[in-house]
Amino acid sequence: MGKIIPEMGNYLSENPLCSGLFGKTRQAVLAFLYLRSDSSFYTKQILDALRIGRGTVQRELKNLTDAGIIRREVQGRQVYYRANAKCPILNELRSIIRKTFGVADVLGQSLAPVAGKVRVSFIFGSVARSADDRRSDIDLMVIGGITFGEVVSLLKPAEEMIGREINPVVYPITEFKRKIKEDHHFVKNVLAGEKIFVIGDEDELRKLAER
Amino acid sequence: MSLENWLKDNQIVRHRPSAAEIAELMHICDRDLEKASIVELGPDWRLSIAHNAAVQAAKAALAAAGYRARKEGQHYLLLQSLAFTIKTESEIVDQLDKFRQKRNMSDYERAGMVTEQEAEEMIALARQLRTDVAQSLNAHYPHLATEI
Repeated sequence: MGKIIPEMGNYLSENPLCSGLFGKTRQAVLAFLYLRSDSSFYTKQILDALRIGRGTVQRELKNLTDAGIIRREVQGRQVYYRANAKCPILNELRSIIRKTFGVADVLGQSLAPVAGKVRVSFIFGSVARSADDRRSDIDLMVIGGITFGEVVSLLKPAEEMIGREINPVVYPITEFKRKIKEDHHFVKNVLAGEKIFVIGDEDELRKLAER
Repeated sequence: MSLENWLKDNQIVRHRPSAAEIAELMHICDRDLEKASIVELGPDWRLSIAHNAAVQAAKAALAAAGYRARKEGQHYLLLQSLAFTIKTESEIVDQLDKFRQKRNMSDYERAGMVTEQEAEEMIALARQLRTDVAQSLNAHYPHLATEI
């Protein structure tokens, strides 16, 4: 885990799929702890990162602790919280977080300022296959009228928040279409593999691939 | 952070530069920039070569400032040092570092992970860096820039 405790309040999703499952504070707490599941954080770190009212966060920390979803640890005078590694649905929950209000959301928000220029963006590779650990990088495909440099700058805060390297692969639309036409090995594999969409969806990607 | 901090941390050591050494590094940079422009090599290879050009320019700037990396192959350190030696903006240093990470992928992975546009971007960055370093050498260390 890096030293930077990022501000997460800005990245939260209002996506109905997420809000239908969990309230805003629960999403925030779960995403924060579950996307860094091998680190623990003291209350102030969590509060600083989430920038949501102290009372609601503390209530949520208690609820989730009581439910066995996160763990509370006392060391000296500090109270720490972390994802409960023994939670029987830890992996499922992490998977839900990743697919809903977790990483993809964070990345989507980061790319939001250029959403008009990006046709499709998705995570591929180990994260999408649910086979990752914290060391594994996030491979992100970005297809559209945007440069690698722009994408790197936009993703920098998200990268610090997630605490993992993000490897963007940035294709202009014409180059992407040409690679498909040429039956490019890598592009073909990525298209056939698992994806978590950040911008656009499978339909949009299919349209790009067909024309 | 500063170069002095790095010196204390033993990441870099003091170094007495010469005009011939600086010229040699800039020459490798130029050679690599030229090779990187050969489209037929393919994007992943071109990116690697352009990255190498950038590293040589960074090495020249660091040498002129009187330092060198303690160990060989310290590409991360060399690219970060540009922020101190020629005041490269942090956004550019971040981009260079991301390209470094791409370059460090296994050959197999990299073959797909580098697009033509990205290779062109890395080449443009390396070219700009070469210009910036030469400018800085001429301005601050003219005695070291006699052969570049």
